[in-house]
Amino acid sequence: MSSSIGGDRKVSLGRSVRGTTPRLKDLASTPESPRTPLFRSTSSAYGSPGGSFRTEDEYIVLELGSRFVRGGFPGESTPRCTLSFGPDEQRRVGDYRQWDPEYTLARRKRKRGQEWGQEYELYQMDLSQLDMGLVEDKFERAMREAYNKYFLLDPKPRRILLALPPLMPRQLLSTVLGVLFGNFQAPSITLMASPVLSSVAAGLRSALVVDIGWAETTVTGIYEYREVHQRKSIRAGKLLSKEMAKLLNHELDEWIDDPNAPKTEISFEEAEEVLSRVGWCKSRPKSNRRTLYFPARTSPVLEEFEDAVESPEPVITIPFPRNVPPTELTIPFASLAKPAETALFAPNTALNEFDDDELPLHHLIYRTLLSLPMDVRGLCMSRIVITGGVSSLPGLKTRILSELDALVQQRGWDPVRSYGSASERHERILRERKENLERRREEGTDKVGESLNPETPLSAALQEQEEDAIEHKLAHLALKNGPPPVCTTGGTIRGVETLGAWAGASLVAQLRIRGIVEVERDKFLQHGLAGANREKDVSVVPQRQSIGPGVGRGAGERGSWTLGVWA
Amino acid sequence: MAQPFPYTYYSCDCYDSKTASIPTKRSSQPPPPEDEDERTFDPRNPRSNYSLYPLEHLLYCEDCQQIRCPRCVIEETLNWFCPSCLFEVPSSMIKSEGNRCTRNCYNCPVCTSPMMVNSLEPPDPNTDDRSGIGGPWVLSCPYCHWSTVDIGIEFEKHTGITQQLSRIANGGKPIPTQKERDKERDRRKELESKKKEREILSESDDSPTVDRRRVDGSLSHEELFSNLSAFYKSQIASATPSNPFSPHDINFSSPSSFSRIMNLYSSTSSKKQKQAKPTPMREAASTLEGLTIHDSAADATAIERIKKEGWSITLSSTQKHDQLNPNMQFDDELRPVATLLRTKRGKRCRNCRHILSKPESKITSTRYKIKLLALNHIPRLSLRALSTTTAQQNPTPGTSAPLTFDYNALKSGIPTHFLLTLSNPLFDPIRVTLATPSTTPGKIQSRITILCPQFEVGANTDVWDDALSSSLSPVKRGSVIGPDGQIQGGIEAGKIWDRGRNWTRVVIEIVPGFLKPVTGLAFGGNGGVPEEMLNEDEDVLEIPIFVRLEFEADVSAEDRGLSDSKESEKDKREKREEAFWTVIGVGRIAAI
Repeated sequence: MSSSIGGDRKVSLGRSVRGTTPRLKDLASTPESPRTPLFRSTSSAYGSPGGSFRTEDEYIVLELGSRFVRGGFPGESTPRCTLSFGPDEQRRVGDYRQWDPEYTLARRKRKRGQEWGQEYELYQMDLSQLDMGLVEDKFERAMREAYNKYFLLDPKPRRILLALPPLMPRQLLSTVLGVLFGNFQAPSITLMASPVLSSVAAGLRSALVVDIGWAETTVTGIYEYREVHQRKSIRAGKLLSKEMAKLLNHELDEWIDDPNAPKTEISFEEAEEVLSRVGWCKSRPKSNRRTLYFPARTSPVLEEFEDAVESPEPVITIPFPRNVPPTELTIPFASLAKPAETALFAPNTALNEFDDDELPLHHLIYRTLLSLPMDVRGLCMSRIVITGGVSSLPGLKTRILSELDALVQQRGWDPVRSYGSASERHERILRERKENLERRREEGTDKVGESLNPETPLSAALQEQEEDAIEHKLAHLALKNGPPPVCTTGGTIRGVETLGAWAGASLVAQLRIRGIVEVERDKFLQHGLAGANREKDVSVVPQRQSIGPGVGRGAGERGSWTLGVWA
Repeated sequence: MAQPFPYTYYSCDCYDSKTASIPTKRSSQPPPPEDEDERTFDPRNPRSNYSLYPLEHLLYCEDCQQIRCPRCVIEETLNWFCPSCLFEVPSSMIKSEGNRCTRNCYNCPVCTSPMMVNSLEPPDPNTDDRSGIGGPWVLSCPYCHWSTVDIGIEFEKHTGITQQLSRIANGGKPIPTQKERDKERDRRKELESKKKEREILSESDDSPTVDRRRVDGSLSHEELFSNLSAFYKSQIASATPSNPFSPHDINFSSPSSFSRIMNLYSSTSSKKQKQAKPTPMREAASTLEGLTIHDSAADATAIERIKKEGWSITLSSTQKHDQLNPNMQFDDELRPVATLLRTKRGKRCRNCRHILSKPESKITSTRYKIKLLALNHIPRLSLRALSTTTAQQNPTPGTSAPLTFDYNALKSGIPTHFLLTLSNPLFDPIRVTLATPSTTPGKIQSRITILCPQFEVGANTDVWDDALSSSLSPVKRGSVIGPDGQIQGGIEAGKIWDRGRNWTRVVIEIVPGFLKPVTGLAFGGNGGVPEEMLNEDEDVLEIPIFVRLEFEADVSAEDRGLSDSKESEKDKREKREEAFWTVIGVGRIAAI
């Protein structure tokens, strides 16, 4: 560590941010006023533990998404604030039109050349379209609101734990860090990937985190808190709300039923409102079995709802005060589930027509699972954590899980999708295997789902196990002393609820777990992101071993820092 | 614009100067080709929304001699208070109790208006005083009539609502406190472990996926979080003794530091422990540890509810965001929202850390101890229409009041004159140079001409100086304007229009642009091209004006103090210069 220069800097920083001294002259001329520096980086293991006591517990937890920023304090279950980036947040100071009742009742038009909902985004992944300065402005204003309105902090600088999507353009990252370091005086920022935090908030070490966000759905395989695989699809919130708008436009046009009336174009807010209030997702339809290879009876699909049409079709009345004239639209309840159907599952499109980035969610999840190593897959498939803004849509989680379950029942874990002329034989093998499995399940000797080897129809794995007395005993012992059996559940499709990435970050910060990616303010301001070490795992070793107090601390202080997965 | 026309915005250039300071901020786009000095300010750029401020919102740093906007100041909280009950909250309470009022201040979760504590009993007409009213109390909203009765909550006392509310769940069931919850959790865990033992003894080997432990349905977000948190703590605590010198969490409050200190005194045991391989932290195994298996029944009931009860029971997104727990969906989950505390904040310049504004610490006082406003340092620009055109068109003497100029309907293509007034708050006369692009940036191009871009504005001397010394009276334009209000001399380029003690007016000629392309008019009705809709506010005529001031000022007190203080003060004058962009909203161009 740079001792003298760094020390000086910190002293001046501490004085200025804390200063309640009213005397101007004092501030200007005497840099070395006798004051205790607030932040001292020299607290080592040799010193008393009290040295680090004050600074280490001060954290702010932020979660950054493309449309919202959540912020709060560690140890709290919910963030203090969730800030959005709508047009109302982007007005000039002194422009109070959003409180003008006339203005709020008017329907807003989309700007020329802007995509659906683009005004409401903080950033998008396509940086060629993105004005970095604008992102900085937006983020800075949001953070200022968070600090001044919700955090209400004393002027002590706080470390920041920042939960980020694991794929983040460096430029964007640099902008965000620049704002946090430059304008908000954070002494250090720890970056953590939001899927990992989601799995933390679910109480899991390994998970398949399905984050249905705004611009894209990411499916991330997490194994022992490490991201092992990730796939994406654009079937997410944006597409969903677009579909909802399409549906509502259509319904409103029919409702008004006036050929002369201009085509309705509902605003983004209205579509979002309808989606978040009454949007829902159907359970898996029973009839949708066009591509089944084997009799349907083998797939135990969860069926809460009957597909039978109810005699008086349930309807929902939705007010549209912004329509001209204001109207109330009554539409069948079932049609409100259509956007989710088309946007997220696209049941009417053949699988080969999808582009790589627009797979329906269940196929996306299935393929992610398929490409995971076998043992990781076994753990991940029974720890499917669905999170993200859209995941609160009623019925969606159930639907995804049952679709996935059906898909797995149908295909097994066979990467080959079509066997061509040999498919008949393959089907027979599959069926036999299924029946075998069924039978074994009925017998109650179900073991962790093995990967099915297509070459040998009746492999040794499928035959009856020989009873091994010693193994039995060992298992028994493990059950007694080791973790409960639920911890090693695998092989079945199971959904696990999470409290969300923010709550995970809050937990991590509360437990004072140091992240791999920790950026110090001085170093960032000197070199920017270019100062990061290229090696991804720089700090894993000092984190895991303790070689002794002195060495441990030295490593903890980190002469170099890494960007980890963001590098 | 919500501000009435015409308005003036001032630009703070802090973001421009900041971009250069961070070295790695290499943008993927090539840098703008023009030199920074030649770039004109574009009020249509979305970024300009973040740098434009009304003059009243700006501060001025006397040391940096620059405008300071809310972005380029550092704010520091002086004290905290509840805006509803004006009760000052000490900072220790902020840490322990959070950022909301812990007294009786609540906002309606439906309409956000402040709620009142009312008695459910009808007030006795004979007794007037509040103390006579008894019975259960509720929080109710005087605006939308939502009350806690709707969520089944009644209070026994009319004070200490926060404490009471924290103990009642919606529906009236009591919420156990954190301590009780922890105790309950421990108790149940013990039960579980006993059960497990029994299971092992009886060798019942049932399927591990069956979660029989879910006893009382779904837990709240809060409870789950505390369960998880307790679980992780216990896991970490059980893992750390083998690793007592962990450099990461040396802390009194963490269990590991306790164990570390204990290990210091019993070194033999620690060595033994060190050799033992730490068992890896396991994952949560039950609801008590924070694991919740997805339950499709909850989804189904939610759908059923929406189907049955429709739109009205669901919550709007703003209502959800206002709630502490934003994951709720139905109106019976609403909780009254405690009022957010506010702060009084002092502001410092980000560059030199000088205090720019500091309010008095008393909550009810609105005065400031220090307040360096840009108003006192930056000339105010204001625009108004020169009423000549309307006066000429309507010479009827009967209408005494001159026709007001409609700023919301500027006529495209017709040159209109406006008067730009600069008033000088400084005590020194200033020389002003105005510059503006000849056409406004953006889709609708209007032509702007400042007829007299260079002029002087008098000092802001004492008002009485002006009145007493008649000799100093400036050129009065009144002589040129005839008694009927018509201009006789006409508008001359290069000459100012009018001048007063500390203000000067110049004429700006503006030709508002056309909302539609002019070529469309020539072709008449056969324009088959569908018109592109205008964006919001694109028909607003805003002109960017670059203002540059030059003046001679006294050397500031501190600079003088640093140099030789014996020198006479009057000789110490320095030339100073000030430059900034302003944006003047002229009006809205009327559609033809």
